[in-house]
Amino acid sequence: MSELQTTKTNEPGGLLKWVDDRYPLIDTWNKHVAQYYAPKNFNFWYFFGSFALLTLVIMIVSGIWLTMSYKPDAELAFNSVEYIMRDVEWGWLIRYIHTTGASAFFIVIYLHMTRALLYGSYKEPRELVWLIGMLIFVVLMAEAFFGYMLPWGQMSYWGAQVIIGLFSTIPFVGPELAVWIRGDFIISDATLNRFFALHVIALPLVLVILVFMHIVALHKVGSNNPDGIDIKKHKDENGVPLDGIAFHPYYTVKDSFGAVLFLIFFAVIVFYAPDGGGHFIEAPNFEPADPLKTPDHIAPVWYFTPFYAILRAVPEPFLGVVAMGLSIAVLFAMPWLDRCKVRSIRYRGNSYKILLAILFISFIVLGVLGALPSTPLYTKLAQVFTILYFAFFIILPFTSAHEKTKPVPERVTA
Amino acid sequence: MIKKSIRNWALVSLTLMFGATLNVHAAGGYNIEFERVNNDVRDKESLQRGAVHFVNYCMACHSAELNRYNRVARDLGWTDDEVIAKLTYNTLTPVDMMVTTMEPGVSEDLFGIQAPDLSLMSRLKGNDYIYTFIRGYYQQEDGSWNNSVLEGTSMPNVLEGVRRHSTEAEFDQFTTDLVNFMDYIGEPSKVQRWDLGWKVIAFLLVLLLLTYLLKKEYWRDIKK
Repeated sequence: MSELQTTKTNEPGGLLKWVDDRYPLIDTWNKHVAQYYAPKNFNFWYFFGSFALLTLVIMIVSGIWLTMSYKPDAELAFNSVEYIMRDVEWGWLIRYIHTTGASAFFIVIYLHMTRALLYGSYKEPRELVWLIGMLIFVVLMAEAFFGYMLPWGQMSYWGAQVIIGLFSTIPFVGPELAVWIRGDFIISDATLNRFFALHVIALPLVLVILVFMHIVALHKVGSNNPDGIDIKKHKDENGVPLDGIAFHPYYTVKDSFGAVLFLIFFAVIVFYAPDGGGHFIEAPNFEPADPLKTPDHIAPVWYFTPFYAILRAVPEPFLGVVAMGLSIAVLFAMPWLDRCKVRSIRYRGNSYKILLAILFISFIVLGVLGALPSTPLYTKLAQVFTILYFAFFIILPFTSAHEKTKPVPERVTA
Repeated sequence: MIKKSIRNWALVSLTLMFGATLNVHAAGGYNIEFERVNNDVRDKESLQRGAVHFVNYCMACHSAELNRYNRVARDLGWTDDEVIAKLTYNTLTPVDMMVTTMEPGVSEDLFGIQAPDLSLMSRLKGNDYIYTFIRGYYQQEDGSWNNSVLEGTSMPNVLEGVRRHSTEAEFDQFTTDLVNFMDYIGEPSKVQRWDLGWKVIAFLLVLLLLTYLLKKEYWRDIKK
């Protein structure tokens, strides 16, 4: 009763009332922030969603400023990036923020996805949250790929050559398709121009819309938590979950703390290791693109290397492309491959823990192998770990159906 | 919560750093061990000497076309007039770029290739590579010169005279200064970046403390 009265006395006046009569401002705020009840037991892993959002904002803002001085022209692109690094006021800072942000994005997203795998956040009723999230991941990979080409260095050029070359392995339509994508018979000015368009407007727009949908879908079903239990089962007399706390102020202050922690790590990289040991900015990219000179060793940026290793592990090129595509596509099916009713790893059986460990280890090993030049030994290793990677998804439906789980608590634990 | 967060962060960053070093060690692919150059881009006197060596010995053929003389002056502690006097013998203006005086096509005629631009050589190959390369010339049995880093290089041993007329220590200093300047032109804002970085991080650390206290204050009413 007291709740209702406070709401009455808090009726807005003035400009806020004028706006609220014409736009559901207070409703939206309450629904998604002030009266969105999130489980109170979020741990460290639950920071990564907000970090991803923060990184998106950082990338859009720094990207806008880069666009002001960058020239999407094969003759001018390389030098315009160095112009930003040298002659544009604070240009070096803006550019390093953007290059660091690209790698930070993937670190954060990979950890965000890890969280979902640990606590079963993809399971019923959050299948759509997961599917939209996977779409974001795929679009993000495309966005990163297009962006990486823009500096027009040797690695930009030859990396793009390799990736677009993948399309030409598709039977029948392949070669025409590759020409259609490039807009030319080789990677050229036409390719650079269209990739610029895709990188700065098309894909960011899609990303923002998908992120919006990801959050809307999440708020419809409510957040999962480290115990993987449904907090809506126990509510107080006002319909507020007993284990839920308002997102604002509790998680806004907590995420502010997290954001600053994230920015500290971010600043350390931007100011003291922007190259990321040659992984965030690759040395061969300091040489302008030269279509006549192939680098000795073409390696994608670190965040693509696990998938690149899977591609190289398969001897037949087209099947390699299929395997690489499958390695990403199979993740979409997680909500249906995992048939265990218990969500959180805290209460799941050993079979899932072992399988998940195999998945993580193979992903990391494949990531290292994908960055190295291929040798017979490395190719063998990549084949073994590719099989292990897929083994997770093949074995999971069988083991998860009869998993020996532990009893799940009624209320969240600390 | 905070202890756990920090521990987890540390673990994640350690894993990442481990991955990074692993790959760096696997890269490279040169047959010889590079000499380590001990240069310091904060040392303006060394940079000034290196700049003079660079225009005298490198810029006859090579350009550093991404660099402007007045920017070099500002970063190395020269006035615009000084940089023009010292580096161009008063033939150019402060806003000109560091471009070789060699006519286009001459390099191809003499050496078979266009001498590469050196603006980003330190970032492309690394300081140790350049240091070892410019010191790595040796005379073959037939009297011709070769290089231990880049066998059969088209670049002549331009520092032959310097080496002959200086002591070992002087030659070390000369080549270190030269590499130092090339390190600088690879990323002219490096010192600025280092000097700004710790201030930003210090500010963030204060903000971290404040946000932590704020969070703690708000969360007091949440029962475990």
